Amino acid sequence: MCLAVPGKILALEGGIARVDFGGVERDLCMDLLPEVGCGAWVLAHAGFAIQVLDEEEAQATLALFQEWADFEAQSALGPTERSAPGGGHDA
Amino acid sequence: MTPDPRARAEALYARIGAALTRPTALMEVCGTHTMAIGRHGLRSRLPAGLRLISGPGCPVCVTPASDVDRAIAMAREPGVILATFGDMLRVPGGHGSLAGARAEGAAVRVVYSPMEALALARGAPGKTVVFVGIGFETTCPTIAATMVRAQREGVDNFCVLPCFKLVPPAMEALVASPVTKIDGFICPGHVSALIGIAPYEPLAARGVPCVVTGFEALDILEGIAMLVEQVSAGVARVENQYARAVPAVGNPVAMGLLHQVFAPCDAAWRGIGTLPGTGLTPRPEFASMDARTRVPVAVPPPADLPKGCACGQVMLGLLLPPECPLFGRGCTPAHPVGPCMVSSEGACAAYHKYGGA
Repeated sequence: MCLAVPGKILALEGGIARVDFGGVERDLCMDLLPEVGCGAWVLAHAGFAIQVLDEEEAQATLALFQEWADFEAQSALGPTERSAPGGGHDA
Repeated sequence: MTPDPRARAEALYARIGAALTRPTALMEVCGTHTMAIGRHGLRSRLPAGLRLISGPGCPVCVTPASDVDRAIAMAREPGVILATFGDMLRVPGGHGSLAGARAEGAAVRVVYSPMEALALARGAPGKTVVFVGIGFETTCPTIAATMVRAQREGVDNFCVLPCFKLVPPAMEALVASPVTKIDGFICPGHVSALIGIAPYEPLAARGVPCVVTGFEALDILEGIAMLVEQVSAGVARVENQYARAVPAVGNPVAMGLLHQVFAPCDAAWRGIGTLPGTGLTPRPEFASMDARTRVPVAVPPPADLPKGCACGQVMLGLLLPPECPLFGRGCTPAHPVGPCMVSSEGACAAYHKYGGA
């Protein structure tokens, strides 16, 4: 429910931003971040930009997503197998 | 930054193991954390003395059956279009679900943003559009901003059914309860992106460490390490692991809009009961957008939870989902009984999908 994803503002008009989410473009309402300009990285939730991200940090996050995805893809023990019912000490 | 995430994860597991000096229970308040912990199988690699318990961190799960029934009754009123986030569709009220009502012909539309609900209202001037206002502080400001836009544009057929919940006062109620035992909070990252870190200070003052934490596996492991280090050192502070998205002040513009439109009120949490000061109700200037007065409906009082369902104890961290007698037997994601199995971010759905690893 509280998922939010990072994207980069490509264009701004009338309080609505065109935002690039890793190749997919969507419009976001900027009413919660009225001071933020073109080129900024923002966190998107429910059609709104809710917070501005530091560009270096945003790119590091995206890189981290990718590294972790690669790591899990390469791992002999992927997340599905690892979390088979009864597999965890907490289950 | 060490480039190899595997090495970083191993270093964090070692840091947690070295810091843990006594049995410790940490609550992840946010359902997005619950799902991420399950997806990455983090529980299975943590030391045996460290328990992660899921809290009431899913706005869908904690919406009382009576609010679901009210939404259903509104959707059945002539001239009403009910707009909702898709998460709410299958949640059982006391008398059916919105999905069931839609199948029977009620006007229920799924939207991804409250702005889409406002657009529905602009496009249907003869109808009343009711938006089901569920969410924590991450979502409430987006709905407040939409209501301000509706007022500014003079869209008078848009209204909101307020079912909002506030997280830090609910955490305080959990800590004050004699039945819960929480040594530290993994604080919700995106709620905090809006509210900042100061609202957790009263929890730290009561001796409970709080760490605002991001949602990647490495974020969560680091947040856990920071909490275990505080617990073992016998200190309780508010720390911020997720500074890349959470400035200490949060988003003051968003919180200003939230307080412009809504005032705090008491709120019923499904399976838990009424917690003072944990809800939001429209201020008098926005009373005309309160769906409860715009579309009055009579709703028979329902049972809060289906018979046998232990979602209330699960959301308080008193029971793990597999300890509920219905878990995996009468209650599965395909045929859910309780709200924590319906919601994709409910603790029961997470345990069913990932096996508690």
